[in-house]
Amino acid sequence: MLKQLELAELHQLLERLAMDYRLQVPQLLADGTRQLAPYGDGELSLHGPVVQRKPTAYFFPQTERLLTVHADGAVELPLPADKPLALFGLNRSDLAGIAFLDRFFSAVPADDVYSRNRDGSLLLALTGEVGPDQAFLPLSAGDCDLEIIRTNGRWLALGHSGKGKMQLHDFVDGETELLTALRQCSEGLAEPLNILRQASQLLINDQVPEQFWSEIADRCILCSGCNLACPTCSCFCIQDRTYDKVTERSRVWDSCQLDAFMREASGHNPLGTEALRTRRRIHHKLAADVERWGELGCIACGRCDRTCPTGIGIIAVAEELVSRYQTNE
Amino acid sequence: MKATLTTCPYCGTGCNFYLLTDVEGRLAGVEPAGNHPASRGQLCIKGWNAHAFVDHPDRLKSPLVRKDGELHPVDWPTALELVHEKLSRIAADHGPDSLMFLSSAKASNEENFLLMKLARAGYGTNNIDHCARLCHSSTVTGLVETLGSGAMTNSLSCFAETGLIFVIGSNTTEQHPLVGSRILQAVERGAKLMVADSRKIRLSHHADLHLRHRNGSDVALLNGMMRQILVEGLEDRGFIAERTENFAALRDSVQAFTPETVARITGLMPEQVLAAARLFAHADKAMLVYAMGITQHSHGVDNVRAISNLALLTGNLGRPGTGINPLRGQNNVQGACDMGALPDVYSGYQKVAEPACREKFSAAWGVDLPQAPGMMSTHAIEAAAEGQVLGMLILGENPIVSDANQALVRKALERLDTLIVMDIFLTETARLADIVLPAACYAERDGSYTSTERRVQLGRKAVEPPGAARADWQVLVELLQRCGVRANYHSPAEIMLEIAGLTPSYGGVNYARLEGEGLQWPCPDATHHGTPVLHGEECSRGKGYFSPVDYHPPAELPDTEYPLLLNTGRTYFHWHTGSMTRRTHLLDREERHAFVEINPEDATQYRITAEQKLKITSRRGTITVAAQLTDRVPRGQVFVPFHFAEGAANVLTNNALDPESGIPEFKVCAVRIEPC
Repeated sequence: MLKQLELAELHQLLERLAMDYRLQVPQLLADGTRQLAPYGDGELSLHGPVVQRKPTAYFFPQTERLLTVHADGAVELPLPADKPLALFGLNRSDLAGIAFLDRFFSAVPADDVYSRNRDGSLLLALTGEVGPDQAFLPLSAGDCDLEIIRTNGRWLALGHSGKGKMQLHDFVDGETELLTALRQCSEGLAEPLNILRQASQLLINDQVPEQFWSEIADRCILCSGCNLACPTCSCFCIQDRTYDKVTERSRVWDSCQLDAFMREASGHNPLGTEALRTRRRIHHKLAADVERWGELGCIACGRCDRTCPTGIGIIAVAEELVSRYQTNE
Repeated sequence: MKATLTTCPYCGTGCNFYLLTDVEGRLAGVEPAGNHPASRGQLCIKGWNAHAFVDHPDRLKSPLVRKDGELHPVDWPTALELVHEKLSRIAADHGPDSLMFLSSAKASNEENFLLMKLARAGYGTNNIDHCARLCHSSTVTGLVETLGSGAMTNSLSCFAETGLIFVIGSNTTEQHPLVGSRILQAVERGAKLMVADSRKIRLSHHADLHLRHRNGSDVALLNGMMRQILVEGLEDRGFIAERTENFAALRDSVQAFTPETVARITGLMPEQVLAAARLFAHADKAMLVYAMGITQHSHGVDNVRAISNLALLTGNLGRPGTGINPLRGQNNVQGACDMGALPDVYSGYQKVAEPACREKFSAAWGVDLPQAPGMMSTHAIEAAAEGQVLGMLILGENPIVSDANQALVRKALERLDTLIVMDIFLTETARLADIVLPAACYAERDGSYTSTERRVQLGRKAVEPPGAARADWQVLVELLQRCGVRANYHSPAEIMLEIAGLTPSYGGVNYARLEGEGLQWPCPDATHHGTPVLHGEECSRGKGYFSPVDYHPPAELPDTEYPLLLNTGRTYFHWHTGSMTRRTHLLDREERHAFVEINPEDATQYRITAEQKLKITSRRGTITVAAQLTDRVPRGQVFVPFHFAEGAANVLTNNALDPESGIPEFKVCAVRIEPC
């Protein structure tokens, strides 16, 4: 279902969505970066660099209350929000990140806290000429409800799910040949970085010596940003806080780069060195996930590379690894 | 999620991030500011978790007043009336100088300015100081003498263009992580790195040269390097001739520091001293980076002078990629100094002893101001212990855990007639107070902060303070008004107008201009764009002054009774006395207990195993901590972080003070250990 929109109609569509959903849209922040924020809070930003905060944070936030225990022992669960979430402005890798977390958290036993945020939500992609300086971003893989595509200054809308298509009834049909051309443009751009596949193969084949991980780990300053910025990271720890006689239990993003992540009460730590933890981080995404899910755990969004203060995000490590251990045989 | 851009409350790097609030208006996370010049989309782990302590259940929510030995909640008017009554009575009965005010490097510029105004104009004393006394007072004293300005001369961006970085006495990747990462990046692109530190720190793994000199032997090392530079003719003669004075005295003073002499004092090999001199002097552009390893000594000012001498000798000043770069510890310790929360200066380092300065502030504030410089905080503690200081107001500091020789500090605070503490938690110090005032934390108030690179930038309110807690500036305004001093400010922005009017280096600073990247002082007027590199054409004082120094050993060295050297400092996961980080789940989980680093060979000698509890005793006290066996520390040295009140390093430390800066010797004292 392809439709064609004027810019004003796109605004009308968003306006309408905001009535039924907690609509989050890309906005330009004070420092020039972009982030999803409530519709109407600031100016809508329809093109530019990738939104800095990973969109999965809406479904799996950095801190999230799980339950409250009252003085009499009664347990209260957080009230569901009045309206479901709608995220607009997602690119292909953002959607891949959400799909990855969906699969993880919905595996039996399903995570009810994640479901509370995710169920009923609407995913709205924004693709085409919407990158930095209006660079072309590949179309989605269809793993969203609705997709807005910018091409040659025009706006197309593509309904993927029933919910998405429902939102588009009022608009005029678009030219489907245009869509075919756009899909051709997206080919190649949509593939995960080849360097990650090469690195993955080296890891799976056990061709990376331990010394490599010691060297990389020595450059890690333990900021944990690689994990916290990663859309497919799903680890959390539990925090209990007692206010007077009411205890709130929350979950908080955790990081496998930290010593206490795996430290046992005895003091023993199966991941007791920085080298082991760094190896695990990369190995998990590029080898373990491949074996478990049949695909990389890295969606190549670039967030960990951008937030790593010492240049050992996953793409940088993959490049170094391939340049050092890839043989041409 | 609402995103509020603000300045990190931890170290002095000056990172900016967004505080994210959820639909209920509660803080839910942090996102680094992507294009900010200090953070560049990156943070350390404390920054990533800086939201977490804000809504901790232990936050103070009501003013408290001690009655029958217990602290009881009261309303604000009652508490403030009592504060004013107590301070006024002590000033009236015993003179204003029987009061002491401790300001805070965690408070904003505006709050520091108001507290110094309250002390001076409100209660008539110059007895105001803050924790810079314990960290970079040696820097302020030393660099004001040699250069005319006590601040970091260069900017963080300079790490990208320097040829060599000499890090001495700074565990940068742990204490200024986003500066440390720039050093690692510089090494990656080919810059040389020299590290002088007795401990094996992360930077030392990447260094071209790691000098593990004995704690407290820095002057000998630096003088030895300078002697060798002169012997080999590697000094920058043009720079010395054009930009400096007193060179002959410097040249004479270093003659005695032959490589062999230096080796004997420092424990290094003579060849290491030669190598250090050559490596440093051959760099076209070299940055000297230092922190507490230099300043926290009974001869801390001499250490700073020696560093300054080395930079002047090699012409590493006034250009991008060079400079003397003291890394300021707290997010606003630079600002607290700039604002005159010091006993001898008003804002902008204008001396209280100079009549013209006094008249300027007196005219602006409409009151007569005291002439004699006030007491340093470390002297005030001694004076309080002697019963000479009777009233103390402490804003956001925790001296029971942070100051040297805890027994003395406790005696001092317990002896006070009145102790008032303004803080966000009931700290170990606040528990001793007669009156406790609950403060809004960084996330709950507006204000400006000045980072280590002299960048004045904004902190913004993201959430409401808990209960009745108030921003310190609001409390200080009320106290000023009770003192009859004009203080009709309705916002920190209005206070900044007064600061700019009275402080030449902040003359061009106002809140509208601080949006974006802030301004690096000096910024004298509204058209000035700030100053990334100081001392460009000439030094602030004119010529750079060579200030010769001789080596003096630390005040207390190991002996047969106390055979080990105790070094103290911070760790990566915690901040100072732990009031914030120990209430941050992830950080607390990483390091939960007091510990001591001990070399495995020493551990074997003392029959100590990993995690075993052991007693550490100095001439001032005993603590019990768990042993961490590691070759980070050399044999003969133990290292105890000062974050943990239950195993407080400062029970042990020596309050031997630098005669000029009044800084205690946190980095060296003698201890003995016994397994429990």
